[in-house]
Amino acid sequence: MHTFAWLSWVALVMAVALSTTNPLYLVVVLLAVILVAALSPRGDHGLTSFRVLATFGAGMLAISVGISVINGSYGRHILFTIPGPNFPDWLGGLALGGPVSAEGLVAAGIRGFSILCVLLAFGVFNGAVSPHRVLRAAPAAVFHAGLVVTVGLSLLPASIDDVRRIREMRTLRGAPGGMRQLPALIVPAIIGGLERSMRLAEAMEARGYASAPSTARWPQAIGALSAPLLMAAAGLWYYYDNLRPLASVLAAAGACALAAWLLLAARSRHTTRLRNEPLGALDRAGIAFSLALIMFTVAGKQAGWVELGYNPFANLPAPEFALPGGLVALACAWPALRLALQPSKQELMTTPSLYPAKVARQ
Amino acid sequence: MIADLVAVNYTYPGAVDRALTCVNLRVREGDFTLVAGPSAGGKSTLVRLFNGLIPQFYGGKIGGSIVVSDHDPSRTPTREMAAIAGMVFQEPEVQGVSDTVEDEIAFGMEQHAVPPREMAARLDELLERFGIAHLRARRLRTLSGGERQRVAIAAALALRPRLLLLDEPTSQLDPAGAEAVINTLASLPGTTGTAVLVVEHRLERLLHRVGRVVEVAGGKVREWTPREAALELTAVPPVVELGRRLGFVPPPLTIDEFRAAALGRQLGARASENLVAGDPVIKADGLTAGYGDFVALRDASFTLHQGEVIALVGANGSGKSTLFRAITGLLGRISGTIAVDTGCGLTSAAGLPVQRRTAGAGLVPQNPSLALFKDTVRDEVAETLHLRRRPPESVSATLEAWDISHLSGRNPRDLSVGQQQRVAIAAMLAHEPRAWLLDEPTRGADAEAKTWLAARLCAHAAGGGAAIVATHDIESAALFATRVIGLDGGEIVFDLPARVAFAADGPCPTQIARVVAGATVVSEVEW
Repeated sequence: MHTFAWLSWVALVMAVALSTTNPLYLVVVLLAVILVAALSPRGDHGLTSFRVLATFGAGMLAISVGISVINGSYGRHILFTIPGPNFPDWLGGLALGGPVSAEGLVAAGIRGFSILCVLLAFGVFNGAVSPHRVLRAAPAAVFHAGLVVTVGLSLLPASIDDVRRIREMRTLRGAPGGMRQLPALIVPAIIGGLERSMRLAEAMEARGYASAPSTARWPQAIGALSAPLLMAAAGLWYYYDNLRPLASVLAAAGACALAAWLLLAARSRHTTRLRNEPLGALDRAGIAFSLALIMFTVAGKQAGWVELGYNPFANLPAPEFALPGGLVALACAWPALRLALQPSKQELMTTPSLYPAKVARQ
Repeated sequence: MIADLVAVNYTYPGAVDRALTCVNLRVREGDFTLVAGPSAGGKSTLVRLFNGLIPQFYGGKIGGSIVVSDHDPSRTPTREMAAIAGMVFQEPEVQGVSDTVEDEIAFGMEQHAVPPREMAARLDELLERFGIAHLRARRLRTLSGGERQRVAIAAALALRPRLLLLDEPTSQLDPAGAEAVINTLASLPGTTGTAVLVVEHRLERLLHRVGRVVEVAGGKVREWTPREAALELTAVPPVVELGRRLGFVPPPLTIDEFRAAALGRQLGARASENLVAGDPVIKADGLTAGYGDFVALRDASFTLHQGEVIALVGANGSGKSTLFRAITGLLGRISGTIAVDTGCGLTSAAGLPVQRRTAGAGLVPQNPSLALFKDTVRDEVAETLHLRRRPPESVSATLEAWDISHLSGRNPRDLSVGQQQRVAIAAMLAHEPRAWLLDEPTRGADAEAKTWLAARLCAHAAGGGAAIVATHDIESAALFATRVIGLDGGEIVFDLPARVAFAADGPCPTQIARVVAGATVVSEVEW
């Protein structure tokens, strides 16, 4: 599956998971993400990063619920009460502790749950597409920034290894363990990391990377212009209902500026690619589907075409499951269909499948 | 003519003395040049002039004229210079920009907008030529050092540079990896006309293959044919050294040449005094250790006695470092028994923490200068003595013993790599453990440093100490070892007295052993 197809899917999961507060729909989204995770190809680092993100997501869920307990909450179904001070209004009126309601816990759980879905989707993406592939797919305009990130990622394991070795050497010199040893670990680790970065920078410069001609001034100016345009559009849209048409025009102008910047930057950088990742018909369809569904979800929620909300504070009603909402959530599983139809070879990184014919000949 | 340096001077930013003085040098098509000389003599500086890293990346003051393929590298953008002068660096790990081998080789071409069809053709050709076609889809991380350096050479050549610069490309590799890289290099000038300039300490592999030798010492450059260099260089391979001492003219460059020259000469070996081994210092029995499911060391048993220096040899990944880690307790899960003399006779190390074990058997891991963090050399040594609860007065004695008294007020970070290495070893062993465990202490060191360390090891053993030294460098191991242990795939495959191990029919013969029966180093030959 193409990098862009994966990205569009992550965006779709984000849009749906953050739009809905209905736990039933969220469960469907979570199952969809897990289904995709099971079918998606994984690089050797994939499983680790998926685990890390899953743990992080579970942690976010716990923190979300924990904070709601500390803060106390409204609602009729009071489960228990935590004693805590109530600050007077002139001190901000902050309440710590107090009654803990079932409604509050449910609302917090739903918030944490949607974050967990998004993080898991990122975990799948991370496992399926290596940072180097993301760099290759990045538009030329952000190539420099992307390269910095990729280089950073590739230096990270070495730096972690450095810290381990420095700690060992401290022990070998007879140092006891403990936090007091921290400066003796941190200083050499930072210096070692800097030296390694300098050597990498030198190697890259020697290979003709560093001084690639930068993007011309005026495409950069156009790119910079898109930011205030988009911010103004968002501000008008949310705060002035009667100015929404103007906001739409500004948003469109901002988007055009952004697109122009990306295009012009790509044209002014003369580089080639050994091979471009093929963007097949299925991937195109997937991207179009994701984008359409994102717009439908966002616009539909505003216009009330599809009901995705659930309000536990209205006396803890049982969440409803309606077909439109359920279908939107289920649609998050589209990569599973895509992967089942055409398992992509390129992502099987452990086998040299890029040039199967040549490898076979040897 | 590819490059012409006329009266070039260079001073590093903030430095007082010139790093290079009045350098005149010409490079022609197909030249294969060895750049030799002591550490910190200016070799790396010299090769960096050709692609403009000096002064563009390093800064500093430069004078004189440099022309490389009609460009002035100190002014031409490095992007353009990369297509004229390619460069390969010392450490394989910090050169890779990409994920896989083919992406790595293609990176430079992509940056220079080589059309995809052309790029694919060049890629195929390079992979074929360097015998790395089977690696093309592999990840860089999974390659051995020798494989990575060959990929780096292919990546540098992908832009079809007229000049290839290499800064100690084999110093981090084991002998097999180094051999593969050198063979690759030697094939270049003949086939493509690319001129090659290689900085290298291991002269024995290159001296007879290059067209000329450039010696850089104290910032001055001198140019020789390999024969002249064999006479003039201070540090030459043992067989050349012996030829020199015997007065052979011209001096032989290889073992075969030496044999031809020595026909009819009576060469004998001086019997060296027999070693009297003292009490045991380390005793390992059935030692097995590993990482996760991987067993890196299997059933190793040996005893180290006072007065012994063991050379531990074997390819990368054969278990040398694991053995050290198991002895000192850095590896938790091991089976077998270890006993270490921590000051009151041989005692079982089971249950002893790393700090106690290393009081008797001090370990200096690879690249020890990573751990330096104090502001002065003196503080660095004092730190270990403080941690080991030794009297601070012994700092001076330690500095003296390691011949670093003159550096005591300097910041370890400002020293040359060789000096840093020595300071780090001194700091790690300042508490004077009876047994020294050194993991490749001469990696990348020049001949003088190797000779110095060999003498230090011999003195330590003579004074009742003992040592195990893991090394790839057979020639310098022969200078200090009394016994050789060979590891292969985590198992001890031989454990022999040095005389047997280094002999012509032994597992790791030295150059001298192959030309003079019974001798292993130059000093043992009699005539």
